[in-house]
Amino acid sequence: MIFVTVGNDFRDFSRLIRKVDSIAPDIPDEIVVQTGYSKYRPKNTRHFDFVPIDSAIEYVRASELVISHAGIGTIILCKEYGIPIIILPRRKKYGEHINDHQMEVAMMLEEKGSANVHVIYEESGLERVIKEVLKNRKRDTPIENIGRANLIRTIREFIERGVKE
Amino acid sequence: MEKKSKIGLICSAGGHFAEMLQLWEAFEGYSVFLVTYREKTTVNRKNTYYLGNIVRSPFAFVVGLIKILWIFVKERPDILFSTGSEIAIPSFYFGKFLFGAKLIYLECSAQVYQSSLTGRWVYPITDLFLVQWEPLLNQYGSKAKYVGGLI
Repeated sequence: MIFVTVGNDFRDFSRLIRKVDSIAPDIPDEIVVQTGYSKYRPKNTRHFDFVPIDSAIEYVRASELVISHAGIGTIILCKEYGIPIIILPRRKKYGEHINDHQMEVAMMLEEKGSANVHVIYEESGLERVIKEVLKNRKRDTPIENIGRANLIRTIREFIERGVKE
Repeated sequence: MEKKSKIGLICSAGGHFAEMLQLWEAFEGYSVFLVTYREKTTVNRKNTYYLGNIVRSPFAFVVGLIKILWIFVKERPDILFSTGSEIAIPSFYFGKFLFGAKLIYLECSAQVYQSSLTGRWVYPITDLFLVQWEPLLNQYGSKAKYVGGLI
């Protein structure tokens, strides 16, 4: 299964969904799209507007590939479960977000370089990258998220200090 | 006897919510409650209070503020933790000045080089202020800390 999500942002990101819909007939895998607040409704894939976050997590876990805007929630989940992700950042110039911070996130991820993270900056590149990822069909063993462990420890230490005071 | 801290977790829906779930382990063993926006993605959670999005209208803003006050009167939080976004601003100011709560803020990992509006609002009153990218440190004062990021 391929899970496609454009997040909780109220701004339209039909650009990605329309592209996915147009290439869906050429993709052998089932595609499920969470359309969010975007207006375009796919004709060639299963879709819904929103599911509760726990269900969305299950969709991500069950997927061989996730296609997404550069949204933090989805990126975190794919990292946690070792799922390949293709990211197309929302752009300010198309009214898809308030600013271009999704470009910054995408470029930073690209710079960090993870075998599972595929950034595209134009939707025209989508079909080629989907086919490449599906050809390899390899799922990473999730690696320990050191940043997360450090954050949890730092927060916990602060709370424990507060309790003793 | 050791006092049991009550921790209020504050976040809007979407990525902020996902970041909160990632850090849940930090609060294990403590009594916690969550304040978030009522969205299809956040429904039916335990120990959770829901607000309408406070930036949707001036009316929603006022109603949201009253609701946050009511929740805090009921829950009496000792510590507040937020992953953003703007829902943290009234929560932190009420929590600090009316309830004497300690404040922990984690700037969203979407902020790579630029500080968020929420971050700038809560920075002066926050006790533990964390960012998720090193380049962001120079947008804040010496209180800001970087120990790692979620993505």
